[in-house]
Amino acid sequence: MKYLAIVGTNSDVSTNRMLLQFMQKHFSSEAEIELYEIKDLPAFMEPEDLEVPEKVEELSDKILNADGVIIATPEYDHAIPAVLKSALEWISYTSQALTDKPVLIVGASHGTLGSSRAQAHLRQILDSPELAARIMPSSEFLLGKSQAAFDNAGDLIYPDKLTELDEIFREFVLFTDITTKLLAEKVQKKSAKKFTWQE
Amino acid sequence: MKFIAIVGTNAKKSYNRKLLQFMKKHFESKAEIEVLDITDVPMFNQSDNQSYGEVIQMFNNKITESDGVIMATPEYNHSIPSGLKSLIEWLSFDLHPLAGKPVMIVGASLGTQGSSRAQLHLRQILDAPGVDANVMPGYEFLLGNASKAFDEAGDLVNEGTIDFLDICFLRFMRFATISNQLNEEEDFSFTPGEYEVNAIGHSGNLPMKVSFSEKRIESINIDTKGETEGIADVVFVRIPDKIIEGQTLNVDALSGASETSNGVIDGVAKAVKLAGVNPDILKRRPKPASSRNRQDEEYTCDMVVVGGGGAGLSAAATALQNGSSVIVLEKYPAVGGNTIRSGGPVNAADPEWQREFEENPGERHTIESLLATDESQIHPEYLDDFHALKEEFAKYQEKFGTGKGHLFDSPLLHRMQTYFGGKRTDLQGNTIYGQYDLVKILTDRALESVKWLEEIGVEYDKSVVFAPVGALWRRGHKPVKSYGTAFILALSKYVEEHSGKIITDSPVKEFILENGEIAGVIATGVNGQKITVRAKAVVLASGGFGANTKMLKEYNTYWAAIDDNIRTTNSFAMTGDGIQLGKSVGAALTGMGFTQMMPVADPDTGELFSGIQVPPENFVIVNKNGRRFVNEFSGRDVLTKAAIDQGGLFYLIADDEIKKTAANTSQEKLDRQVEAGTLFRADTIEELAVKVGMDPEVLKETIIKYNSYVDAGFDPEFHKDTFSLKVEKAPFYATPRKPAVHHTMGGLKIDTNTHVLDENGQPIKHLYAAGEVAGGIHAGNRLGGNALTDIFTFGRIAGKTAVDEME
Repeated sequence: MKYLAIVGTNSDVSTNRMLLQFMQKHFSSEAEIELYEIKDLPAFMEPEDLEVPEKVEELSDKILNADGVIIATPEYDHAIPAVLKSALEWISYTSQALTDKPVLIVGASHGTLGSSRAQAHLRQILDSPELAARIMPSSEFLLGKSQAAFDNAGDLIYPDKLTELDEIFREFVLFTDITTKLLAEKVQKKSAKKFTWQE
Repeated sequence: MKFIAIVGTNAKKSYNRKLLQFMKKHFESKAEIEVLDITDVPMFNQSDNQSYGEVIQMFNNKITESDGVIMATPEYNHSIPSGLKSLIEWLSFDLHPLAGKPVMIVGASLGTQGSSRAQLHLRQILDAPGVDANVMPGYEFLLGNASKAFDEAGDLVNEGTIDFLDICFLRFMRFATISNQLNEEEDFSFTPGEYEVNAIGHSGNLPMKVSFSEKRIESINIDTKGETEGIADVVFVRIPDKIIEGQTLNVDALSGASETSNGVIDGVAKAVKLAGVNPDILKRRPKPASSRNRQDEEYTCDMVVVGGGGAGLSAAATALQNGSSVIVLEKYPAVGGNTIRSGGPVNAADPEWQREFEENPGERHTIESLLATDESQIHPEYLDDFHALKEEFAKYQEKFGTGKGHLFDSPLLHRMQTYFGGKRTDLQGNTIYGQYDLVKILTDRALESVKWLEEIGVEYDKSVVFAPVGALWRRGHKPVKSYGTAFILALSKYVEEHSGKIITDSPVKEFILENGEIAGVIATGVNGQKITVRAKAVVLASGGFGANTKMLKEYNTYWAAIDDNIRTTNSFAMTGDGIQLGKSVGAALTGMGFTQMMPVADPDTGELFSGIQVPPENFVIVNKNGRRFVNEFSGRDVLTKAAIDQGGLFYLIADDEIKKTAANTSQEKLDRQVEAGTLFRADTIEELAVKVGMDPEVLKETIIKYNSYVDAGFDPEFHKDTFSLKVEKAPFYATPRKPAVHHTMGGLKIDTNTHVLDENGQPIKHLYAAGEVAGGIHAGNRLGGNALTDIFTFGRIAGKTAVDEME
């Protein structure tokens, strides 16, 4: 399996980045996970000339070429960071590369809640018709107290969380498989129609 | 009433903008509405704070002054646009203008939904702590099919829609009036008197007394006995000052001491509660005026010093003595740097004074073995001094023969010991040793420095002479007051009393260059303002880079590995700032690969005095697996190397008797450390092993063997030859230790006049450096007590040279 793992923040220091780095290492025998940083994407703005920025195309290509996408989101003001939202807006406005793509949501926070509200928002956002990702249902990986969660080698040290992550990831690999099969049976392909939020 | 209306999208064409413009016009007679666009708002990034940039400041000021905010959001992917989210993130980071502000949400969309889902998200976002807006409940205004909603004049066409918008807006005006009353401060009065409370500081309880009059916090007194000196001391003055100045609990923690700062703030909050007032009232007050001042500052002086440690203050004091005007810029809230953390005396050969003390057994032997060094092992420039020292010592031997003599010393012995002590070879086979001309000055002018400090106001205890750890000889001049503090107090007092200006909390960011020459520095002030200091000379005295792991790793050529989370015994301010500044103007560096480590430091904090620290004859050092791996009596270098080979972390094992030989601790402190999990205690060796994750059998066997070596006075494994106690009496302790960075010997290349040299060996005009920021003197290893000699000697030289060369 080949997954693209999106770090949902532009901060230099991020335990969500550490979480994805750990997953990349920890699941290296099950899947090839590539980390993607969104900090260099331009802020979303409907382009007048309809030119798609290079960085956005790069992200779209990587999503299209992956079997699935993992998104790690922090929580800013009960929601996902603007910079992650901006990346998703670019995708939905241009390539719609996330359509039917299996997605796993994870998140880490310094407090105890583990980005729970941001993850709920992200689910609703990914479920919008312009994104229409296939989010893995009935799963939630919330990593609270994330500053103390990793040792010097970058390994997750909370045993219960590690078990949970192993199980969720195993399920996600299965889910990726089943979703691919389901989509092969799907008769009506969604038309990639151009749309606008304004006019 | 005045409202700010925010268009929730950066799109050129927007029905939400149209809606707000309509509202502005339609409600003109009832309220003034100013429509703001978010097009220029930068993407939020917590690593690139733009809170004080023009755009965010404009939003901050306008929102703060308004009676309420109207937000019009479209719906992008079932949520609000990233542009709007980005603005709200900026307004909930450093600045909080939306806190308590009445907010009305409206929205328009092309479809039928009218941004319904986005509006719900926006409500949740505005309710988050940090944003704390007061959103009007109910009255959802959703404008669907927006493309058909307006006529050519931009007016809403549907009468029913306008009626509902009227209802919503009138309700909002009422809501805003009432909501703003919540922002008015509640009336309160303290029950006057003095209240005693306990706050939690970095090293435990902070008993404090806070006294109140009916309307004011009058005084805050903190019992600081338990806290470490240095930055914590500043907290105990600065935080209470700020609280009293602003009569507020909305006070920023000091950088480098946030735990203690918050301890003090929480303590005062407790006292406020005891005085019968809700502390939240004081937390909601604005920050004190002095914390809000962001006015840029400009100064002109003869000499500016970067760094307020021992070297910088010596340079400043010397320049003042020579009639120059001086400004010292210190990046931390207090002066002192590493000097104030020093626990040792200053090395200086002072034969006349040392003659008053008898020699110790073995001391002559130390000199004899030094003088027995094969001359082929000595670099040629040191040979003359080596011979001269031989002659000096021969005279001494002649005088005393086999009888008891006095303590021998001379600048020559100091010089040769500094040379031999510093000679090291790194992993690549490069040998380094102290640069002769610099070491000569260090040792020849050391005594002058000691005497100069006496004139400045440092009092010495002349009744003792001793060798600090790693000094090799008894030539330490010990101040009466506690070590490092004594020097810093005397120097900073001298500087301030002689019209020198010390500006704290202000890291220097760059040089001012005029026609390619250094003409001063630019620093960032305590509230983020720009501080420009124009000067004829700049002295870099900003210390080493012991707290900068990236630099340590980048330059290291001496240790097999530098851990990603290596700790330091230094102040966290030691991040190599002066070296970076020097590099920016082409300065050459020297000896950067060599750093000194303290092997037995706390793995979490780098502190030397936590856990159970005993004399080395009672050390029992085991690795993570419970096995010994080194002769516990080895020097710092050997212990550090051995520990790094074992992966860094190791443990000191002690029993109840060994514990009693530990200095610098008490049972209360140990109990607290056990509770905090930084020290381990158990009733049997096996249980202790389990607690630290070792195989119980292995540790047990190690201890049995060690005890047998103590009995035999002989260690066949690691050849430890001095023993005292066995490990036998419960409870048993394991103190985790790890080497920590202590001194960075490398730095800017300087000459004997402290000119900073470029790659061609030419002085960089107007630039001087002294102290740990400079390299070349201590080479591969610094003798204990020589750092103080270095900073006071070369600090003085820097001050003098700079003044002499001023145009």
